Amino acid sequence: MKKKVKIKVSNLHEIGLLIALISVLLIFGFSTENFFTQRNFMSILRSASYVGLVAFPMTFVLITREIDISVGPAVAWSGVFFVILVKWFEFNYTFAAFIVLAWGLFLGYFIGIARTKLMIPTFITTLALWSALRGYSLFITEGRPLAISNKPFRYFFGGDVLGLPTVTWIMLMVFFIFWFLSKYTVLGTNIYAVGGNPKAARSIGLNVDKIKIITLMITSMFSALVGILFVARVSSGNSTVGEGMEFDVIAAVVVGGTALGGAVGTMTGTLLGVLFIAMISNGLIHWGIDPDLNKVVKGIIIFLAVVINSNVTFKKNSGNKEE
Amino acid sequence: MSILKLENISKSFGAVQALDGVNLSLDAGEVLGLMGDNGAGKSTLVKIIAGNFKQSSGSISFENQNVEFLKPMDARNKGIEVVYQDLALCDNLTAASNIFLTREITKSFGFIPILNFSKMFQRAKDIFKELKSEEEVRMMSGGQRQAVAIGRTKLSQAKVVLLDEPTAAISVRQVAEVLELIKQLKKQGVAVLIISHRMPDVFAVSDRIAVLRRGKLVANKKANESSPEEVTALITGAIESA
Repeated sequence: MKKKVKIKVSNLHEIGLLIALISVLLIFGFSTENFFTQRNFMSILRSASYVGLVAFPMTFVLITREIDISVGPAVAWSGVFFVILVKWFEFNYTFAAFIVLAWGLFLGYFIGIARTKLMIPTFITTLALWSALRGYSLFITEGRPLAISNKPFRYFFGGDVLGLPTVTWIMLMVFFIFWFLSKYTVLGTNIYAVGGNPKAARSIGLNVDKIKIITLMITSMFSALVGILFVARVSSGNSTVGEGMEFDVIAAVVVGGTALGGAVGTMTGTLLGVLFIAMISNGLIHWGIDPDLNKVVKGIIIFLAVVINSNVTFKKNSGNKEE
Repeated sequence: MSILKLENISKSFGAVQALDGVNLSLDAGEVLGLMGDNGAGKSTLVKIIAGNFKQSSGSISFENQNVEFLKPMDARNKGIEVVYQDLALCDNLTAASNIFLTREITKSFGFIPILNFSKMFQRAKDIFKELKSEEEVRMMSGGQRQAVAIGRTKLSQAKVVLLDEPTAAISVRQVAEVLELIKQLKKQGVAVLIISHRMPDVFAVSDRIAVLRRGKLVANKKANESSPEEVTALITGAIESA
């Protein structure tokens, strides 16, 4: 039997995005002097990697019709918490990292329980956390960075390995894991099923609540991981890092073709979305555009992405309408 | 020999008596058409058999054993499958993924269990030759969607299949396909309970017809000894019972 090669709508989106990505690359490359340099590519990759590490699990969260907007403050608090454990309590780095990641899992569990048992929308819980985590980080550090001195930790996790930023290697590994999860595992299928038709998934015996909680836990854990990796990069626990990161993460996921209404989305799309957002941010700086206007441009991009999404993807590709 | 037997089932929701002392049994390889007006208690009865509700009083026996279904999984584990009116399909998944949802076939990849697509597609094809198991459900016609939903029951080798309004929202040609599927189930010795408003469809496949009116079973007789006219009269109350 011959296998028919069908281009699915989701593939169409990815191809379109790839073309857009290359176009943007060429436009910036030929209109500025320093865009096409190794140093600049490393810089783009580095910032894309922090966003990507949270964007992949966030793709799952969006597919299940939930959202987590507490990413930026969660990253900041995790970094601060990590340094507090290391500096004030003199924990060793591995053990401190372990505790912070466990704390991340707990945070996601809390968001998930609030959603499934108390019926509080994840948007509201994570909005509350968005404020609380940033506020507490600022309070406990008095707004000052808590410096660390451990060189091996800073040089390895904040530096480069084999010609790429270490964090980029980690991001690529995580991408592969999530790509694999989404395509080849029971959990992946269940996540799509929950997003496609939660009522049906429940009626045939799928534990919808458990799956939502798992995706939220993984996302918060990766926010915590990025917090630790940021500490290595900036050599301190800093209550102001990750400002607006939730925006970049969600923008990347949506630009990558994941529907905010759930059911649809791919990890490859998210990877392309992450690169796209990072490249735009970087290129606009090279164009000498004011950083404040940079935010305006990103706002327009996410809006356009959703418009395209809802016209190309959503109509043909979404899950069942009824909840 | 009856495979499923309901004895004196009653169910009340507060002051509302949804079911009142219903006795009903179902044999292997038998198709029973359950009819009644809106609010007559058909859906409540199905939900009790499927484990969504617990009856207020009365007992259910399955293969001559008393059973108690506290949740849908309990009923499914015994071999009772429900095809819901809305079919409970995920539009964004393939037919095979829908059929195998919660019962995925996996193989080992190193030490990680991964989905065994080729085996699932193959088994889905065995169940329905005409089914495009790799196609996403959203692309399918109403009849094909029914086939996917019924495919689930075949996969689990169900002994009892409850169909809630299987022909309500589909075209004439698709109705014929669905009725054919029901006949196939019967041939395989599955007991089928079909709830429907559509008189001709019920008479086309049913061996026996049961009629509920205001929570009471007012008729339970062989289809060939009844007629659409009689059943209509029973549903509306023009005839008290038969």
